[in-house]
Amino acid sequence: MQSNNSAGKVIESNLGTPPYSSLQTKTKKRKVNTVLFWFILPGFLIYSIFYAGPTVFALYLSFTDWNGVADAYNFVGLSNYKELLTDSPIFTQSLGNNLKFTLTVLIFQTILSLFFAILVAKNSKKNVFFRAIFFFPTIVASVSIAFIWTFMYDPNIGVINSLLNKVGLEQLGQSWLGNQKIAIYSLAFVQFWAHTGQVLIIFVAGLQAIPKELYEAISLEGATKWQTFRHITWPLLAPSATIVIAYTTIQSFKAFDLVIAMTGGGPSHSTEILSTFLYHEAFTNFRFGYSSAASVIFMIIIAVITVLQFKLLKSDDVKY
Amino acid sequence: MKRKLALILTLAMVLSLALAGCSSKDSSTDAKDSAKHTITFLHWRGEDTEVFNKIIAEFEKANPDIKVEMNVLPSDSYIANASATLLSGKGSDVFASFPGSQFEALQDSGVYADLSNESFLSKFSESLIEAGKSDGKQLAVPYQLVYNIPVYNKGIFKKLNLDVPKDWNSFLKVSKTLKDNGYDPILFAGDVSPSQFINPMVMNNEPTDDAFPKLETGEEKLTNDWFVKTLSQIKELNDKGYFQKDPLGTKKEGAAALFAQEKGAILALGSYMMSAVKQQNPNIEQGLLSPITVDASQMKYEGIHTATFMLGVNAKSKNQAEAKKFIEFLTDPKIAAEYANGTGQMLTLKDVKYDSPELTESAKWLDKKTLFQPRYTLKKEQVSKAIETAVQDVLSGVEPEKAAKKAQEEVDRAIK
Repeated sequence: MQSNNSAGKVIESNLGTPPYSSLQTKTKKRKVNTVLFWFILPGFLIYSIFYAGPTVFALYLSFTDWNGVADAYNFVGLSNYKELLTDSPIFTQSLGNNLKFTLTVLIFQTILSLFFAILVAKNSKKNVFFRAIFFFPTIVASVSIAFIWTFMYDPNIGVINSLLNKVGLEQLGQSWLGNQKIAIYSLAFVQFWAHTGQVLIIFVAGLQAIPKELYEAISLEGATKWQTFRHITWPLLAPSATIVIAYTTIQSFKAFDLVIAMTGGGPSHSTEILSTFLYHEAFTNFRFGYSSAASVIFMIIIAVITVLQFKLLKSDDVKY
Repeated sequence: MKRKLALILTLAMVLSLALAGCSSKDSSTDAKDSAKHTITFLHWRGEDTEVFNKIIAEFEKANPDIKVEMNVLPSDSYIANASATLLSGKGSDVFASFPGSQFEALQDSGVYADLSNESFLSKFSESLIEAGKSDGKQLAVPYQLVYNIPVYNKGIFKKLNLDVPKDWNSFLKVSKTLKDNGYDPILFAGDVSPSQFINPMVMNNEPTDDAFPKLETGEEKLTNDWFVKTLSQIKELNDKGYFQKDPLGTKKEGAAALFAQEKGAILALGSYMMSAVKQQNPNIEQGLLSPITVDASQMKYEGIHTATFMLGVNAKSKNQAEAKKFIEFLTDPKIAAEYANGTGQMLTLKDVKYDSPELTESAKWLDKKTLFQPRYTLKKEQVSKAIETAVQDVLSGVEPEKAAKKAQEEVDRAIK
């Protein structure tokens, strides 16, 4: 192809060199990629040493009877797993407690954070202030939260029972952390009190990303507030809700500090959850092998639940 | 090529900076300290740090060639963390350990240097350092002495003309009188008391002093009469309302606060609470008493003691002589008194002058017949936890026989 004008010459010269030019670019790209590899090395090393490494090591230990301190240990095959699944009432109880705890936190934390997010979604000075107030418990150390709530829950000197007495509702007063039937729910309440503000921020970001035009359109159609929420807000919040639900589930399953500081898993293992069970088996009973097997099961449970959640919630994802 | 070289140099620089950052001392400090022997001292009593700092300063003044570095780990993770470092061969030169399972695990692995021939042993009450012995060798010296029996308010007892009960019936009578007069007879801390109160409750009920260790060999069962009787007596106290409202929901701090406010007369914890209570209520007059669960004629023991904070020297330490010198310094009566009075702790040493009414009161128990805490004679923590859970179950309304059966099942799982 030829052209008489200058522009045409340029075109001709460009068209005449593609094979060479493309090769040069590919070679350059290859060099750049090799160098870039070094940049991910620190992250890769940190991940391998602090995450992947211990995970693989825990898997290895789960087939041993290592006590955590001795130099020697024996391979015991699957016996740790067998004991956990067939002859460990405390493990079963911990799993049950964990489910109660997680479901309670998941339901209340998601509903409350969504409710408050809707109230404070608009960027006004008042709403920014309230967002900060809701977020505040997130920045308080969990041990401090545990200490405060332990005192508040105290059946004799605690503020909750005292307030109930003062307003004539003493029959509602409870042994919040001493009654085996309700202690786990008392802990769940503290958990979602402490973390609702954190997930509220995710919902606020999701709400602010919804185009205003959609609200204007549905308003012109004469939709009620509930219809607006049902047909616009909720479907378009699905990505945020997916993150919130997955995050809350994982966070609640892994809850440890509040439980250890407030009840230590008692009374009679009624607040023992999987993370505290692992801790007690490893660091109190010196059964690191057994505890590692429990941690592998724990990891599988969290992985399965998270994958299921993502699959179920993905279908609600709406694109606009 | 140039780029690769630059990258390698950058990485090398980052690595060297990171390694330099890991080093805790600068070179000038190193030079200054090189002439000194530095020994490390590991323990769990963060609340004693200030007093220990003063004592260490005095030690370093008396021994200018020795420097002591103190490391404190939290008590709840102490056993695991300290054991792991000691067994790795990189542990501290002087370290404290708990009696019972931790001592057994460490001595099995040969961590302790033999202290049997040390002259400072003569400064201790012989009977109180037994917990640090193994196969006739003194491997560690318990430094602190605790009485794991309830503390009582002497003022309330005087006001109501009550004598310290000497048998089970009088214990029940005293509890009734206290309740009738508007006091909570026994303040029970749901998180700590189950593992504390069981000791004096069981000491006169168990058939032999080694009934607890026999649980681990299968020679004794928690379903046997002596343990069921103990649980039944705890249930009796609960059913009669002699514990405060919701004992399992009350934490140690809450129970101590009620005791300091003089709303309750007996605190089911131990002598270690006396100084904390005194700080909350300087006017309170405290004593120690034991629930005697049998008739006075059948009583074998008056109370429970625990010799703990067992000081040992690391067998792998290169500074064993200096480490032993430090322990010897702690046994000096003047230094021991400084520690005891500064921290409110009783010591296993003889000739220590206590200056507070609480420590003087505790010291009276040195002449009484007390049993070493049965819980610390257990080697398996699961067994100890099963016993604690049985007490919690009974306080939650489970029948003693059923609670004992459940606990025995847990013991069976632990020892199989």
